[in-house]
Amino acid sequence: MFVLKNAARNVTRNKGRNILIIIIVAIIAIAATVGLAILQAAQRARADGLANTTITAQIAMDRGSMMKKMEPPSTNESGSDSKPDFDAMRNALESNQITLEDYEQYANDAAVSSSYYTETAALEKTDNFQPVETSSSNAMGEASSNSNSDATAGAERNGGPDGAIPGGGNGGLGNMVNGDFSLVGFSSDQALAAAQNGAFTMVDGKAFNYTSSDDNDVIISENLATFNNVKVGDTITVANATDSAKTYKFKVLGIYKNTTDSQSFGGPMRSTASDPDNAIYTSTATVNALGLASDNTVTTETSSGNEVKTAASQLQFTYVFADKAAYDEFCNSIASQLPEGYTVQSADVDQYEQSLVPLNNLAKFAKTLLIVVLAVGAVIIVVLTIFNIRERKYEIGVLTAIGVRKGKVAAQFTTELLIVTMLGLIVGTGIGAAVCKPVSNEMLSSQITQQQTQAQSQREQFGRDMMQPGGGPGGGPDSASGEQNDEQRGSDSPTANSSAPDVPNEKRGMNRMANYVADVNATVNLKVIGIMMLIGLALTLVAALVAAVFVMRYEPLQILADRS
Amino acid sequence: MTQETQQQETQQPVLALDHVSYSYTKGGRNVLNDVSMAFEPGKMYAITGPSGAGKTTLLSLISGLTTPTQGAVEYEGKSLAEINRYDYRSQDIGVIFQSFNLLPSLTVAENIELSMDASGREFSEPKSDIIARLLQQVHLPVEYAKQRILHLSGGEQQRVAIARALSYDPHIILADEPTGNLDPSTQADIVNIFRQLAHEQNRCVILVTHSPAVAQAADHVIQLTKLQRPVVQQ
Repeated sequence: MFVLKNAARNVTRNKGRNILIIIIVAIIAIAATVGLAILQAAQRARADGLANTTITAQIAMDRGSMMKKMEPPSTNESGSDSKPDFDAMRNALESNQITLEDYEQYANDAAVSSSYYTETAALEKTDNFQPVETSSSNAMGEASSNSNSDATAGAERNGGPDGAIPGGGNGGLGNMVNGDFSLVGFSSDQALAAAQNGAFTMVDGKAFNYTSSDDNDVIISENLATFNNVKVGDTITVANATDSAKTYKFKVLGIYKNTTDSQSFGGPMRSTASDPDNAIYTSTATVNALGLASDNTVTTETSSGNEVKTAASQLQFTYVFADKAAYDEFCNSIASQLPEGYTVQSADVDQYEQSLVPLNNLAKFAKTLLIVVLAVGAVIIVVLTIFNIRERKYEIGVLTAIGVRKGKVAAQFTTELLIVTMLGLIVGTGIGAAVCKPVSNEMLSSQITQQQTQAQSQREQFGRDMMQPGGGPGGGPDSASGEQNDEQRGSDSPTANSSAPDVPNEKRGMNRMANYVADVNATVNLKVIGIMMLIGLALTLVAALVAAVFVMRYEPLQILADRS
Repeated sequence: MTQETQQQETQQPVLALDHVSYSYTKGGRNVLNDVSMAFEPGKMYAITGPSGAGKTTLLSLISGLTTPTQGAVEYEGKSLAEINRYDYRSQDIGVIFQSFNLLPSLTVAENIELSMDASGREFSEPKSDIIARLLQQVHLPVEYAKQRILHLSGGEQQRVAIARALSYDPHIILADEPTGNLDPSTQADIVNIFRQLAHEQNRCVILVTHSPAVAQAADHVIQLTKLQRPVVQQ
């Protein structure tokens, strides 16, 4: 009681000093609150962002690391010959393929809520059925389809930002799209809904079924139908991509219209098969019935005369998870089963991680800020306490001389400091709570700007944003999406000219824009307040310890003798 | 053995020094050497002696601010080493320091109340009433209660220090040069107050003083000489 009463009285007595401490503590508290709230918001965004969202993932091959592993022996074998052992490389890459059967086996994992796949094969035009061509440069047709630019463009939908190549079949889209049409076989409605070319609606007719009795039923795009004057119920004829003598007849069951603009896909050097308008959708049953299953191989001759074996169609197997936790569980459980060089990748997760980059940077900054502020705060409070104690040495002498125990004196000083610190903390946390959101959003937007500036300088260096509408330099906030694609493409290009199958994520090609998390919900909740109180208590305790040491050291007789 | 203890007093001493020696450093020169004396309630003692005779040291020992290197200071038959010296200081002895040792930022009443609170005692009447009565007792106007110490003269501060020492009703009143800075009339008044405390309130009053006038007013004078045993005069 004595301690509390005296502490309370002294707080009001020494107004000037206490107001100074309150201001200092409040400033520390503001910075700490903002930092803490940002950290929490970033954690929440991380944890909650994908918590209740369905996640799709593919199994991807990190070809770079695979080839690296193969390098030493091949170098030894070739001796002084600097030419790489291409055959060994190719064989090694091929031997490690994952088949549809493997994929389906992995899908049995308990964490997988569902799975689906598509098989995409290239088809050639016939006299009666021709692809939609939007650019005169497409006259170059097949010859140009294997060019670098095409491969680069293909890769845009291909790997993640880390350069990994999804999929396990042969031949990437860059090579597969050398036909005029792409025949995409879907394993289920789920696969169809997640079509790579984006969402679509049926204009006429209906979608196909997946049983073998529905073989040869297809749906085609509205533009393709109009271009060839095809109606629902008509039969179309297309040719095999490698053997034009071999033709297939399909019954058009429906006509669909992509709800997403396909123009962004049409670079000047693209092959017509990669044009979404020239995609023919069917069931995997049909693709298999035609002998174009991904497990089948076809032999093609390259322009240099080499014979290359490629899969008849490229397989894209997608696993669906209920949430991020299930995805993580799958990653862990499947890791040991996967062939070397393969990893589970999720564009959803990657994209989300990418969108969190500025927020994570901000969180890092907030963490540093928090540590620095708390360290400086602790030092300031300890120094102030030391000054306070020294200044009040006489008071300590008098109190102990009239019989107040040293412990009580130390407790009184601690209580005073606690009252003052808590007042400062309340004021600071209050102000922090008020300014937290605008300040953190302002900081986040500057982080985003920084991120965008980096991307923009890259683009200026490479001069490669022509294909992105509205993504020109200085394009304002909109340009973020273009830049992000640039970044991805830049990182993908070293591995783009490949024969790996493309397992593009539906959301990647068109929609994978860097929608940076631009709004951080940095609010001060009870947890933040609780932590702030703990911080206040901790700081006070540190200072109190110093106070106690000083008080215990003082002898009243000495103090009073010095004074007199 | 002092002359004082040889006197056949009927009253039990409230405070006694039993062969007390004191040196500031271990094994150093003794400031006090084998001092024994007893203090009884209802009497006023004056401790006199030249500078360096150990008057202030004796006062520190009696007030429990320091401990003897040899011997014991006994309060009501118990050595101070055995009892809690903080409790002793806050409840049993009221010390009036030479420099008063009041807290300048506090008011008169707050200074007095601080000692009352520190004693941990329960008071039967409101503290403000006790303070008012104490101020009257030391001949200070009651309105002074709200004055800050800094605004008071030396004599007034002395009175406040006495009032503070009395506030928790201690058995022993110990004062160091209580009239050092006061004019003769104030000095006489203060001495009178101390005499009243001893004779009317049956307290043991011990004054450390240079002043012959104060010494004359005391019931017993303890003369300290440099490294000599004290001589008690009746």
